[in-house]
Amino acid sequence: MAENVTLSDFQGDGGQDVMVAAYRHDAHKLNGETHDYAPDIFHGVPVNQTVPHGADGDASALSRPNGKPEQTVDNHETHYRLSLLTGTSHYDPEEFSRPRLSEAINDLLTGSDPKAMHRAWITSDVASGFNESIYYPYTSLKYHTLLVATLLDNYRAGHEFADLLLVVDDAEEIVPHRTVYAGDRFALRIDESADGQPWARLGSRPWRSWASAWKRLTTHPLDVNHDKHDMVLDANLRRIWSWSTALQYIEDLETRRESR
Amino acid sequence: MTCIQQVHWELDMDYLGHPYYVSGNAIYHALGMQLEHDVHQHINASHGMFVPGQFGTFPEEHSQSGIRPYMGSSLPDVESYDDLFLFRHPDHPWLLDTRPRDGLNAHDIRFQSGMPALAHETIMGRPDDARKQQQTTRWYVNAYLHADDPDVLPLGEDVLDGLQFGGKRNYGYGTTTLKDTQVVDLEALDYSRLEDGEAFILELVTPFVLRSEYPKANNVDVPWWWSVDDEAQLRHRLEKVIEGGDVYELETVDHGVVVGYDGDRPVETAMSGLTRVGNHSKYGFGELRVKPVTPDETSVKKQIEKPKSEN
Repeated sequence: MAENVTLSDFQGDGGQDVMVAAYRHDAHKLNGETHDYAPDIFHGVPVNQTVPHGADGDASALSRPNGKPEQTVDNHETHYRLSLLTGTSHYDPEEFSRPRLSEAINDLLTGSDPKAMHRAWITSDVASGFNESIYYPYTSLKYHTLLVATLLDNYRAGHEFADLLLVVDDAEEIVPHRTVYAGDRFALRIDESADGQPWARLGSRPWRSWASAWKRLTTHPLDVNHDKHDMVLDANLRRIWSWSTALQYIEDLETRRESR
Repeated sequence: MTCIQQVHWELDMDYLGHPYYVSGNAIYHALGMQLEHDVHQHINASHGMFVPGQFGTFPEEHSQSGIRPYMGSSLPDVESYDDLFLFRHPDHPWLLDTRPRDGLNAHDIRFQSGMPALAHETIMGRPDDARKQQQTTRWYVNAYLHADDPDVLPLGEDVLDGLQFGGKRNYGYGTTTLKDTQVVDLEALDYSRLEDGEAFILELVTPFVLRSEYPKANNVDVPWWWSVDDEAQLRHRLEKVIEGGDVYELETVDHGVVVGYDGDRPVETAMSGLTRVGNHSKYGFGELRVKPVTPDETSVKKQIEKPKSEN
């Protein structure tokens, strides 16, 4: 965990709720601005601020390699996410029509109740349309932001990274700031305690360990005994390293299953 | 001398079969169409793992180093025990970070009559205005054979070429071409990483069968040399063995599960893990990898311990 940004540094900067700041920390990616020139106010609220306890850096390490980023897909250099499912950009002119997009982005950024913001992000389909880095276009801004929030909330509670678990919850169980995926069949949470639910450790340090954690879960929340689609989903989840890419892949496949 | 014959097939057409791997049973039966009964009955087949043909770099524990183009499309030399596992893990640690590794490694799924099929190639980066910039990744199937009668191996290339796996074979699905094959003497390998190790973990490369509906198969317990905090932590999954029209269910400890090692003969355990342990080992089940726990990896052991809050 990076210690260079302390809580007091942060609170000297306007005194807004730390969790709210986490949900607003990558506003520039939704608004199509580069980080260096991004305004620090959006519709009257502070955005693009540093997240304390190094939670942003740790969440990034869960989904992207260390070191200087390089473009990995030659002809794709926007914040519109590429889908592992279709191979194409998630950009949809209707979904991303300017009025609809502005309204959705307002919902994601301008709230002041941190629990409501967690809800807004976890149920957002617009946030799924963006990647967390143009160099890694399969990553997902939605799940990166949720990972930042859950790490921050865990660190604030005194939990160290090495003690954190990936926990499988029932579908309705949404724990504020700890649930990182919520679908119709199951939810996933990062927490220190499994409360009797299936679990796997994240590891000793933040790294792209999705497949490693998923394949060690004590029970998988899918019907991998009889359902061919679930077996295919499970097979691919054992191949993916990036956390935000994997969580987004679950969402994409589950959404397609419902619409079939 | 205990030899295995590594076999690397290229998928020529989409595959409509078991999505985790081509089962050893499927490989065994495909070989049965090519071989005399006397020869066939001595063969033991591993599961066939799916491998993308992509640029890659050898993992640290490998006997070789450096970056290779299309590393997954052929068989590198094997000198040490760890070399055997290069293409036996679905997450393929050798894939380069300078490429979109998850996009290249996740199977492209194509629906055929409502059933998900794994595409034999992955095409990416193809916007409408840039068709020439697409990258195509071919998929391969990595397996190995060993025999009860050492004179049976190696099987000839004519026997291994053109095998078909999975469903809808009449329509050409699951057709393969033999791409590479080589024989490895297990006793001649370098096991020094295990000889020098002090503590070990075991990784289930393929499921370990506990109970089987197959006629005359004995049920087995979790081996005594697995160190497990709590057996509830061993994730179970059902598998099937299909023979003719008959389907037999198998209750297994799922692949990917990691346990501690309580035995004191890691090299012998490693070799038996390659020729596989437990029920239906002849058809690919019970493949294990022994991994040393180095001091800076104490976390690996911690990964399989219960959370503090539940002790």
